Amino acid sequence: MRTRAEANRQRWAILGVAVAVLVLSLVLLKSAYYQLVLTQVLLWAVLSLAWNILCGYSGYFSFGHAGFWGLGAYTVALGMMYFDLSPWISIPFCALVGAAAGAIIGYPTFRLRGHYFALAMLAYPLATLYVFQWLGYQELTLPMKREAPLLYMQFEDPRGYVVLALGLLVVALLISLKVENSRFGMSLMAIKQNEPAAEAAGINTWRWKMLALMLSGALAAVAGGLYAVILLVVTPETVFGMLVSAQALILALFGGVGSLWGPVIGAVVLVPLAEGLNAELGDVLPGIQGVVYGVAIIAIILLAPEGVYWRVLDRFSKRAPVSTGADLLVLRDIGISFGGLRALDGIDLTLPEGGLYGIIGPNGAGKTTLFNVINGFLDSDSGAITFAGEPITGLRPNQVCRRGVGRTFQVVRAFPRMSVLENVIVGAFIAAPTDAVARDMALAALERVGLVDQAEKIAGGLTTRELRLMELARALVPHPRLMLLDETLAGLGHDDLGGILGVIRQLRAEGITVLIIEHTMHAMVQLVDHFTVLDHGRLIATGRPQDVVRDSRVIEAYLGKKWSDRVAVPAK
Amino acid sequence: MQNSPTRRSVTAGLALGAISLPALRVGTASAQAKSVKIAMIAPLSGPWARQGQLLRQGADMAVEEFNSQGGIKSLGGAKLEIIYADAGDNTEKAKNAAQRLLSDHPDLVGGSGAWLSSFTLAVTEVTERAQLPWLTLSYSDAITNRGFKFVFQTSPTAEWQAAETLPTALKLAEHATGKRPKTIGVIQDNTASPVSFGKHLREGGGLEKVGLKATVDQIFTPPLSDATPLVDKLRSAKPDFLLLLTSAMPDCKLVLEKLDEFKLAKGKMPLVGNGAPFGSPELLNTIGPELLEGMLFSVANWPLKGQEEFIERFKKRTGEPFATQDALCGYGDVAILKEALEAAGAADKLKVAEAIRQMNLTTGPAAQFFPGPIRFDEKGRRQDVPMIFAQWQKGVPLTVFPEDRALAKPFWPSV
Repeated sequence: MRTRAEANRQRWAILGVAVAVLVLSLVLLKSAYYQLVLTQVLLWAVLSLAWNILCGYSGYFSFGHAGFWGLGAYTVALGMMYFDLSPWISIPFCALVGAAAGAIIGYPTFRLRGHYFALAMLAYPLATLYVFQWLGYQELTLPMKREAPLLYMQFEDPRGYVVLALGLLVVALLISLKVENSRFGMSLMAIKQNEPAAEAAGINTWRWKMLALMLSGALAAVAGGLYAVILLVVTPETVFGMLVSAQALILALFGGVGSLWGPVIGAVVLVPLAEGLNAELGDVLPGIQGVVYGVAIIAIILLAPEGVYWRVLDRFSKRAPVSTGADLLVLRDIGISFGGLRALDGIDLTLPEGGLYGIIGPNGAGKTTLFNVINGFLDSDSGAITFAGEPITGLRPNQVCRRGVGRTFQVVRAFPRMSVLENVIVGAFIAAPTDAVARDMALAALERVGLVDQAEKIAGGLTTRELRLMELARALVPHPRLMLLDETLAGLGHDDLGGILGVIRQLRAEGITVLIIEHTMHAMVQLVDHFTVLDHGRLIATGRPQDVVRDSRVIEAYLGKKWSDRVAVPAK
Repeated sequence: MQNSPTRRSVTAGLALGAISLPALRVGTASAQAKSVKIAMIAPLSGPWARQGQLLRQGADMAVEEFNSQGGIKSLGGAKLEIIYADAGDNTEKAKNAAQRLLSDHPDLVGGSGAWLSSFTLAVTEVTERAQLPWLTLSYSDAITNRGFKFVFQTSPTAEWQAAETLPTALKLAEHATGKRPKTIGVIQDNTASPVSFGKHLREGGGLEKVGLKATVDQIFTPPLSDATPLVDKLRSAKPDFLLLLTSAMPDCKLVLEKLDEFKLAKGKMPLVGNGAPFGSPELLNTIGPELLEGMLFSVANWPLKGQEEFIERFKKRTGEPFATQDALCGYGDVAILKEALEAAGAADKLKVAEAIRQMNLTTGPAAQFFPGPIRFDEKGRRQDVPMIFAQWQKGVPLTVFPEDRALAKPFWPSV
């Protein structure tokens, strides 16, 4: 979620770009052909944005957005043929058709998740295609209205369609922005990251998913309706075909999934590229245009796997580092909500390089959420994170990892059927140019945590201690400057604890900054140099361990008011 | 793992190449000082690429031939220049191709295309607004039902073909055997053209009009996985002949093979089809001459008497076993445009369109490449066109009707 000021900036950016495109296209684009292609770029961008509202934010991938597009196109075509309905009326009506289709499709389909959902969505347009064939609507043409062309959205000047499509795109962008910056978008993002957690946090996931699909369907159907007006010929294959669904997805993937501008970037680059290749190569080497198009997409996916938007954002933010001195990690005013639950609120935290820091707090205090924000699993609603002088706010986990932040998890994420060494090698890929080097680095890391004898053992058979150490080794492989350890000590017996504490202390000795989460105070007091206490998403105390454990708010958080009063009275 | 520099530069190079490729061709299109530009939009890539290529081969031959014979005489020997555009695999691409042609070549005087009906519908929405005379072999009635003034359909429309196919087939049967068939079996898929054909038979009263009773009437959604249930119905009902309306080769093959398996092929149950795919070399290659022997099909255009010399040249040039509708129409459309240019005496699209409207040709290259006279009504449809029937005879589909331009005598397959 963006701050209000940033959302306003985005809104002005949308309007500014739209006005610029409008002026340029009206003044400079004289050729009807370029105007037609521009209209198509704008329309496909709307479809891709519609797709993005459901799939980009909630993570539910749809291979079936052609269903909505096609329903929109047929609504307009049939309305005009049989009821003499002007597209000025039928296109807004498409929104209702699309939303209704979304509701009907969503009701059974949201019982499925992941790939099953994606595949089920694929079925809808394909099934609808056959229905429209069976109904005898193989080839519909929108009749030419010579009497009152404007009344039927038939412009003499193709720039009329540019204006309409641009208007629709602006609406789609503003809707997307609104979604991003509201409880709606946040809930979808929470669903994307961990649906059970979102549900557990009180978010009505089913309702938000349904709303997203209905909104997405409505937008896609409206765009499909306008597409019918522009193409004037509607066949089931062109509007319900696989290519339409694929287009929505490819444009967003190319430009950047889950971003406002990603689908637009995808449409602006890929639609003219495909058309240009068709125009230039179609009559010389027929078919080669598809090959070149495919190669271009593959090349760009290799160079920018997260999509162009995110890639450019990374580049841009890398060039403008904000220097804050020798502090390794600086958090300023970090806040995040899940629906109505304020998981983190105004967290300020500064870690100088080279120390051992602890974060404690009762269950649900927001400790793991804080780690998730630092390493990029979650985007904070507000605030900024700086690591080694560079802003890392909004970066993805792998990008944060590349910058030198290693992490372990509360529940060890091991690959149980792989050997210990293989488990660690996976962590080494990020830093190693070749597989051989990755192996050497992994062995060195296992050596550091004292697990090198177990290297060939299958991870599934390890003890909790060994698993913890293995995960530590995996995080250590790329030589991080900061290690985030999430309850590494949990569930360990007294003897095992000693071994792990030794390893952690050794890390500090090697100059690695360590930030560790625990909810058991005892082990932490022995271990860390500096304590930070979280409760209900707020930072309630920070300082040396011996001072913090006497803080009445800390005692209250752990033991309740009764105990804090008891401690507080003698202290006075 | 990080991208190694080599992989990065290779992919970057590919991406750059993809973007800059179009630029390489700028300026290669030659514009001769004295030439008249016509256009052809055809599917040159995608599932209909082969048909588009045949269309193009025919058109190429026509352009070469007319230019070598001295070009357009009324324009002082101006040469024809034909510009091709790929309609690709969907209507959006086809429409873009038309818009692009008009933008890049405002001096076009006429054109032809785009083979598939839905492509032609989209393309002509553009050409009509530009008042560019446009010829097409597509069958759909919708093409010339829109009140357009600049679209000329060289093929008889689908509805007309549906109305004429059965009476002509019955005539052939009666002529050959002395007996008029009473019952018919219909097997068809549910794609655009078989559906409109079938609609005429059932709802349009096409069957009653010719006194036929359908004892088998089956519609399937392609692709067909097993033809047994369909053919089983034929075996028990035993209609006098079978009307087979499939649009995909594999489906046609399945039905024919199943007929053979049930001992209904090779004349036991005479076969009638509609459309050029029933006479394609691909059908011959996949099904073989034996199963096809005797199969009749109605079609808009097929090699006729008077084209023998062209057919030989076409076979030599392309390596095709025989000429088909697409190549003939490619040639014929260029010939019509050439005749119109001669008559108009000006490289002006409006005058060319008017010349086509006034056209009434019974001789000359254009008339030779179509059955019947070249004459259009106010809708842009051909007038007085006979239905053509071709029949597979010893591995070649030969025109057997109308008699005056037939290349072989028809026979009604019988036991």
